[in-house]
Formats: sequence, C-alpha cells, structure tokens
Amino acid sequence: MKRFINSWTGIFIVFILLYFLKGFLPPAFLTEVVIFSIYAMGCSFLIGRLGLTSFGQPAFLAFGAYGAGVYLYYFGTNSYVAILVGVLASLVINMLVGTFLVRLNSSYFTLCNQAFCVVTFFIFQKALVKWTFGDNGLLLISRMDPTPVIDLTSPRGIYLFSFIIAILVWLFFNYLMKKSVFGATCLCVKDNEEKLRFLGYKTFNIKWLAFVIANTVAGLAGALYTVYFCMVNANIANVSSASEAVAISMLGGAGTLFGPLVGSFIFIGLKDIVSRFISHWEVLVGFLLIVVMLAGEKGIVGSLESYLAKRKAKKSMMQPALTKEGGL
Amino acid sequence: MNSTAQMILQAENITKRFGGMTAVNNVSFGLEKNEIAALIGANGAGKTTFFNIITGNYIPEEGTIYYKGQDITRLSPENRVDLGIMRTFQLASTFDNLKVIDNLRLAYYRATHKASLRNLFFSRMDRIVSAKIDECLETFNLTKLADRMTANISLGEKRVLEIAMTMVTDPEVLLLDEPFAGLSEVEIDECLNVLRQQVHKKTILIVEHKISKIQDLVEKVGVMVEGVMIASGETNEVLNCERVRREYWKTAE
Repeated sequence: MKRFINSWTGIFIVFILLYFLKGFLPPAFLTEVVIFSIYAMGCSFLIGRLGLTSFGQPAFLAFGAYGAGVYLYYFGTNSYVAILVGVLASLVINMLVGTFLVRLNSSYFTLCNQAFCVVTFFIFQKALVKWTFGDNGLLLISRMDPTPVIDLTSPRGIYLFSFIIAILVWLFFNYLMKKSVFGATCLCVKDNEEKLRFLGYKTFNIKWLAFVIANTVAGLAGALYTVYFCMVNANIANVSSASEAVAISMLGGAGTLFGPLVGSFIFIGLKDIVSRFISHWEVLVGFLLIVVMLAGEKGIVGSLESYLAKRKAKKSMMQPALTKEGGL
Repeated sequence: MNSTAQMILQAENITKRFGGMTAVNNVSFGLEKNEIAALIGANGAGKTTFFNIITGNYIPEEGTIYYKGQDITRLSPENRVDLGIMRTFQLASTFDNLKVIDNLRLAYYRATHKASLRNLFFSRMDRIVSAKIDECLETFNLTKLADRMTANISLGEKRVLEIAMTMVTDPEVLLLDEPFAGLSEVEIDECLNVLRQQVHKKTILIVEHKISKIQDLVEKVGVMVEGVMIASGETNEVLNCERVRREYWKTAE
C-alpha cells in the first residue's frame, strides 16, 4: 500500500511541477522534454531492467514518426488517427525485427541495433525517397485539421496531450516494472538468464516482449514528434543521435520511473542554454554523464532513490542493519 | 533394457565430444524413485558434462536419456521443468536484484502456472501468495531474510535459497551440482541438514568431487575418471572396490 501511494504521489508532484513550470518556461521546451522522456523511457527500460543497451533507438523513433507522417501526407487529416497509425506501424515492425535482434547478447545486440539504425536511415533517406522526400521530408502543416477535445495543432494542445500520454506511459511502466511478474523476470534476465531458463521460463519470449514494448513506446514518441513539428524528415533516424537516448537514460537513472524525465529535462535544458554560448554543447553533457556515472552508476534518480531507501532503513530498523549487513 | 521400467531417470550409453576431446565416453547411469545418489570424480573427469546432459544444457552425440520411460534426450531445459526435473548450479545461482521471497515466488509461479507471456504480463508479483512458499521459508530458515535483497545475503544463504527455490516447485528429481563448493564447515552442515530432510522424499543426484562429506547420506555412487564411469552401485561396495581405490583416490586426494 505504501509503495502504491509513493508512485502515485511521484506522478502527482511531477504533474503539478510541470503545470506550474508552464508559466515560466516556454511550452516548446516542455513539450520537447515530455516527448523525449517518453522516447527515453523505452531505452531506459531496456538498459536498466534487461541489461540490453541499444544504440539504434532513432530507427524505432522513425517508424512511429513516419507511420504518422505518411498517414497525414497521403491518407487523412486527423492527428489522433495519425498517432495511432504510427504506434501500430512501429508495433508491427518491432515484432518482426525483435525476432532477430533479441537473439543477440550484450555488445552484439548494441552494435546490430546500430547497424539496423543505419539501414533504416538509408531506407528513409534514399531507398524510399519518392515517397518520403529524403532530407526535405514530409511537410504536413497544411494537411492537419484541428482536432476535437484537445487541439493537437496548437502548441498548448500538443503539450497537454503529450503530457497525458506521458502519464499513461509512466503508469504502464510503473505496473510493468514494480508490480508484474513479467517485470521481475526481466530483471532476472539481466541477473542470470541461464538460471531463469532452468526455472522453466522461456527467456527469448520475455526479451522479445520487452523489446517490442520498449521500442513501440519509442514509436509513440516518434508519432508525437511528427504531430508536434508538423513535419518528418529522414534525419530523425540519423544514427549520430543514437547516443542521446542512452545518455539520457543513464543520466537520469536507467530502469527508474522518473529517470528519463529528469534526464530529458537536463539534456534538453543544457542543449537550449549552453548552445547559446558554446557551439559544442555536447561536451558539457559528456562531462556531466561521466561525473554522474562515477558517483555510483545509478544516475540521478537512481542515486536519490537508494539514498532515500538507506535513510529509511536507518530510521526504521537499526539493529538488523548492524548485525546482518554485508555478509560474504 | 529391462531395468528402464523401474528407473525414474535413466541415461544410456551417453557420449559427448567437444572438438577432438571425448568428455563423456559411453556412460550409463540410472536413478530409482526416491533414491539419493552421488556422482563423484576429480575435476575434469566429465561429471559436470554428464550432469549437464541430464539437465538439458547439452545434447549428447550418442545415447539416450529416459525419464519414466519417455525419451527426453532432446527436450529443452524449460520443458524438463514441466516434468519435474530441477537443478542447481555450481556457482550459487539466485537473482540478486530481487528480494529473497521474490526468488521463491518466481520458482513457485512457474511450477503452478504456464509461463505464457499473457500470464506473466497480467499476474502481479505481490499476489503470488501460497502456504507452500511460507512453509519453504520456514523449513529452510529463510523467514528472517524474506524481505532482504538477495545481493546482501551470504553465499551459504544463497545456496540454501537455491535449494529452497527448487523445493518450492515440488520436483520429482532434484539435481545438485556441487552444492558445497565454497562453503564453510558450518554452512556445509546446514546444507546437509536441509538435504537430510528430503532423503526418501525426492529423487536426488549430487555431483561432488569429494565423497567424504556425503558418504553417509547417499545410497548409490557413480565414479567417473577421464570421461568413463569406472564403477557404480551401492556406496560402500563402490568405495571399497579395488579399481576405485586405485584410480579415484589417486587423482582426487
């Protein structure tokens, strides 16, 4: 029960915070932070819970983005439907691609994801140039009708909408990581895959589903991007931005619920502020990442969580901690 | 073979080669129901390879494994669990990022449910509650540790937890791979006590390289030297046999 309250209060506090920040910060910045946090959520889940680091996330972002973009350009004008099409497109592709990529372990998985990303970039930029217009991309601004309930074509509307989506994604991952048996088996894959097999679990299926979930969430973020920017071009799948999702996950704390949000906030904040003074703003992110990693490899939220847990344990049970901690 | 019928687990003429090396050479070994047996031999004698063939890690080049008369030679480890065959590992294998009780819950969950993705996704960890899990915590002296992270318990406790994880599934055959490696004398005694409670309730096979610790526990012994089983049968008979004295004690001591 206590845990239940904690995760809900966390989400509530974030909601209030972002709502008030809206008055002080430009909505464009916040929208980008929220969408990026959805994108990083999947990557963070893969790294923190399964031990699979993917350097190919832009590809999965692009499937959702192009799903939505192609729908809006060629078929319809409703942004809601476009986002749905984007998610479904990325779901189908992830189910196929996952069957192959998930067979690989650790660094092979990382590199093959990157290779896959390069191939995807090529497909959107060159191979399908007739339909995607490569680097110029699909311009959708004249093709998007105002939508009912929340107007996704207005900056305030898209902010509110992506924010609601982000909350749903957090709730979903909260259930997945902290409550479900599936989440526990994911952690076991990271810990000791062989043991899990010998307990009778089919680890391939577990990794496959985790891959599909994580990357479809990335696809969802991609679809939101398309609607937010009113355009999509091949650059979204560019492999040079592959490290962004990984850096954000690690900065915030891989496998934590709010890590991606905190990571995105810092990352995009630095990008906005520092790039006014230095052209190579990535240098600062690099330094920050090294400092955070040296401070305990858990990222900002991860370190905070374990600090709070330690303080709580100190308060509540002094004796057991003194007699039985550490062990062999 | 005539004896296959009474045997619960029977390996016949197993041969396994790695490249040019024959790790296990034409080995046969059987376990009767509720019998406790040991497989001994020096390091590199092929006993772990043979053990891994029984558990499903490797598929042998030649030979067959029968479980209750059914051929399981090519069955995957996941499916062997359904038949009631459980194993432990030489390096204590528990899930460090989970609580002690969650380790048991996962093992129990698999024994009582099909591990389809749908089941896994819609089941909640905290809803896996069973008298069997509590009973296991009690029997194996883990109740105090239930809410601790597994990473923070000692190696001996991890070994006991690993045996508890297999017992909570109520297996028919229990295969233990060097359960005492790296333990202190006190911890070995604790583990032995745990095993003694299970004698004649389960079929147990223990792989060890020293017989001394388990000599009074096991009824049947197989001795392996350089991939060949040089003797098998009742414990005292085998240990007193001339060839075993000469070859096994020479290499093991």
